[in-house]
Amino acid sequence: MQIDAAKRLVAKSVKAGQGALSEFDSKRFLSAYGVPITRERLVNSEKDARAAAERLGYPVVLKGCAHDLLHKTEAGLVMVGLGSSKEVANAFRELKARAGSDFGGRFLVQEMVKGDRELMIGMTRDEQFGPSVMFGLGGIFTEILEDVVFRLAPLSLSDAREMMSEIRSTKILNSVRGMARVNQPMLARAIVAVGKAAVDNPDIAEIDINPLIVSGSHPVAVDGLVILKPSKSA
Amino acid sequence: MPKRTLKRFFEPRSVAVIGASATAGRPGRVVIENMRANGYDGDIYPVNPRGGRLLGLKVVKAIDELPRGIDLAIVILPAQATPQAVRDCAARKIGSIVLVAGGFAEVDHAGEHLQAELARAADETGVRVLGPNTAGHISTPANFTSSFFPLGEIPRGGISYVAQTGNFTGAMMKHIMSAENYGVARCIGLGNTIDIDETDVFEFLATDKHTKAIFFYLESLRRPQRFIEIAKRVTSEKPVILLKGGATPEGAKAAQSHTASMASDDRILDGALNQAGVVRIDEFSHLFLAAKGVAPMPVPAGNRVGFVSPSGAFIVHINDLCRQRLSLNFPDLKSETMERLKEISPPFIRLSNPVDIFPSATVHGMEFAYREAMEAVLKDPNVDAIVSIMILTRELGMPALDFIPKLAKKYRRKPIYISFSGDQACNEEAKAFLEPRGVPTFPLIEDAFKALDVLVRARKSLKK
Repeated sequence: MQIDAAKRLVAKSVKAGQGALSEFDSKRFLSAYGVPITRERLVNSEKDARAAAERLGYPVVLKGCAHDLLHKTEAGLVMVGLGSSKEVANAFRELKARAGSDFGGRFLVQEMVKGDRELMIGMTRDEQFGPSVMFGLGGIFTEILEDVVFRLAPLSLSDAREMMSEIRSTKILNSVRGMARVNQPMLARAIVAVGKAAVDNPDIAEIDINPLIVSGSHPVAVDGLVILKPSKSA
Repeated sequence: MPKRTLKRFFEPRSVAVIGASATAGRPGRVVIENMRANGYDGDIYPVNPRGGRLLGLKVVKAIDELPRGIDLAIVILPAQATPQAVRDCAARKIGSIVLVAGGFAEVDHAGEHLQAELARAADETGVRVLGPNTAGHISTPANFTSSFFPLGEIPRGGISYVAQTGNFTGAMMKHIMSAENYGVARCIGLGNTIDIDETDVFEFLATDKHTKAIFFYLESLRRPQRFIEIAKRVTSEKPVILLKGGATPEGAKAAQSHTASMASDDRILDGALNQAGVVRIDEFSHLFLAAKGVAPMPVPAGNRVGFVSPSGAFIVHINDLCRQRLSLNFPDLKSETMERLKEISPPFIRLSNPVDIFPSATVHGMEFAYREAMEAVLKDPNVDAIVSIMILTRELGMPALDFIPKLAKKYRRKPIYISFSGDQACNEEAKAFLEPRGVPTFPLIEDAFKALDVLVRARKSLKK
């Protein structure tokens, strides 16, 4: 997806009265701005789910995916570590049952990214300062350690680099305990991209990329959420 | 209509003191004594319904008897009388007013009401107002102050303070004057900021050629976006150092995302200040320490410090401090520097940076050892700044210290900070000798490094 198409996606979703983009759309959108994301396929049937898993390679993750599904894990709509076509099929039936008959979304088959380091990038609009980009520790540590820093958008690459060295746990980006050093230029570009996405799209209220898992040395957005401002006509 | 600049506040050619008093010790008299003590040579017009003469000046009986177009009025009246005084001043074409009185929004509900009335008076007449509830301001380039705190002659220099407290034009200024040897350019107590706020003053100081470094003590920011815009420009020209007190409680936000729930006002402000090159500090004393460091010395070109110490314990401790809390480091020295240090030390000594100078001092004496070691380290291109701790006692004999200002002159691009260990009387003697000659001293050994650290952080955004 190109940036123009990404902007249109946001505009269209606002017009449709959506409060957020689905995970699939959020990540396509972020990817257009240069955030590395997981390989994934949106599917609607067991057969398509199995075919997608075959193409992506095992293990895979299966998730419910809809623009009004903000908390997938809490809703029980995430199954990880699916290692075979049969497991994918079982998981699909299970999730479909859990989602219920009034579930309007689809399902996302996703490569399962391995990595012990979870980071996050986010954006919120401050009343005083406008779009503000956050970077810090992700996953369950975001709220526990509160190790995050902010910069105002738009950001320069050197702003992003400063953020990376400013978190208390900055050493997590080095090569530690046999893990590779994080590809820092790539991470910096992803942070800058989130700022640009916010400046380009005033209809976006908040962005969460959490977790951004470090796979080998590459940061990859494993989950993404783009929250929209309420549409003016609604 | 664009608001008038603050030029008349800082460079008034004539001043009216509304509420001048003949009684010794009253603010309405002290303010005039302060102006006199600082050599203010503009016209001063005391105003008091009693008339007569005050400190050799003719007292005008009412504001409407003042000549038109006086640059600045200082209003020292009870709170209730200030709104009318503002309107009367405006009618006499006085466009800039310092309001000293307290008893407004900082006190009670009635005060809040009165403050709103005052704000209306300022707004409707278009005058610029500093205060109310301020101890006034200082402008040494104009030999001027509106402070009513008995100060006497205020030392001149390049440091400017902007504070949401009257302290920097009152008691804190007295502290600087009596305990330190650096001078100030402009100091402003903002008071309740019905008109002039920190951002207005920042804008003035940004292009003020008398201001070398700007220090803020703030509890809130009225126009944060504009403040950051100005900061982005200024921090490439001069250090901007800020202490923000009173962290606001985190408001419960209707947040759907993790990001919004983590986004406290203080975190975002912190990021914005950093991005704009403002050095945020968290210790009040650093408002003085860093000022003292930068007043006579250049901002260090980088964070590489040469450290000449008389004690291994200091070396160990300061190493820990710099590693754990500060952004300073102790670089390896060039082989030429090491050669020279070896020449001046007994043969069994292992040398590195930090330099243990004690063995050399026992053989060659304090003056020779410090002079030669400091010069060798200052010459070293790997070093951006130097800190020396000296042991001074009568028993060892006070060394002649004039080599230090000489080194400062010779290596003018590298800051030299001196600290002490030993006899307090000797330390004070050394301070009294060195500081007026442009070398700052820090009685507590950590302080020299903490001050340097603040300025190293300011360096990042400065153009060469």
